Amino acid sequence: MTETLQRNGIDALLVGGACVSIYTANKYISGDLDFVSHGTMKEIAKTLEQIGFHKKSSRHFERNDCQFFIEFVAPPAAVGSEPITTPFELTSKYGKILLLSPTDAIKDRLAAYYHWNDFQALDQAVMVAKDQNVNISEIERWSIAEGFGEKYQNFLLSCTPRSRKRKPD
Amino acid sequence: MLEGLLGNITVEKILFFLLVYEEGYPRGMATIFDVPVNRIQQQLRRLEDNGIVVSRLTGKVRIYTFNPRYPFLRELKALIERAFAFVPDQEKDKYYRLRTRPRRTGKPS
Repeated sequence: MTETLQRNGIDALLVGGACVSIYTANKYISGDLDFVSHGTMKEIAKTLEQIGFHKKSSRHFERNDCQFFIEFVAPPAAVGSEPITTPFELTSKYGKILLLSPTDAIKDRLAAYYHWNDFQALDQAVMVAKDQNVNISEIERWSIAEGFGEKYQNFLLSCTPRSRKRKPD
Repeated sequence: MLEGLLGNITVEKILFFLLVYEEGYPRGMATIFDVPVNRIQQQLRRLEDNGIVVSRLTGKVRIYTFNPRYPFLRELKALIERAFAFVPDQEKDKYYRLRTRPRRTGKPS
């Protein structure tokens, strides 16, 4: 899908839970593929029709044999109030995809935890942090800049393996 | 006030509403502004499609709020607040001064 979009000059950055699935080797499985694109919905719809995807509502696409729910989220690509400047490029047997870096994927999940107290999102952020090399100091800087320094501490604690006290003999 | 920028007066009213009350549902807004509910729903959908508002189901009611993850929210709110200051008092009293503090069940409304 992303190859078809690219061939037609349409950018598409994979964001959201699907990045968590990729970075955790499907420990968390997302049924949604959320993309941020600067293409118009008209252009995107026309292009995706070539490979059998049909527009189901203003920004959603489906194909009968595809288990994923495809959404094109309105640009800009951002985490909190900061733009995404360094997306990752992943090459698979199906082609290249642009997606959030592991560090940005964590920020993306933490934003849901920070603003909506979504503990599922916190768990997903922790999964990525445990499975990938991420820039923790950058996540801390961003969290504080967004005004969530205290909640960041919860994330940090969740990432740290708890030491178990030995029972007395 | 911001109609020229936002495209229509309904979306301006919705944004003022969310600024003042922080959340709202289409029928409630439609009743207050005395406009058809589908007009409100249409504009809320447009705002949601563009990431400016988000919604959640509470029972059978879809509640809308500003999207705290919208990257320009601070700037947008500043603009709406600035414009809201120019809303005539009569209009503010009519639409934007509804009781928001709690009222115990059983008391006459």
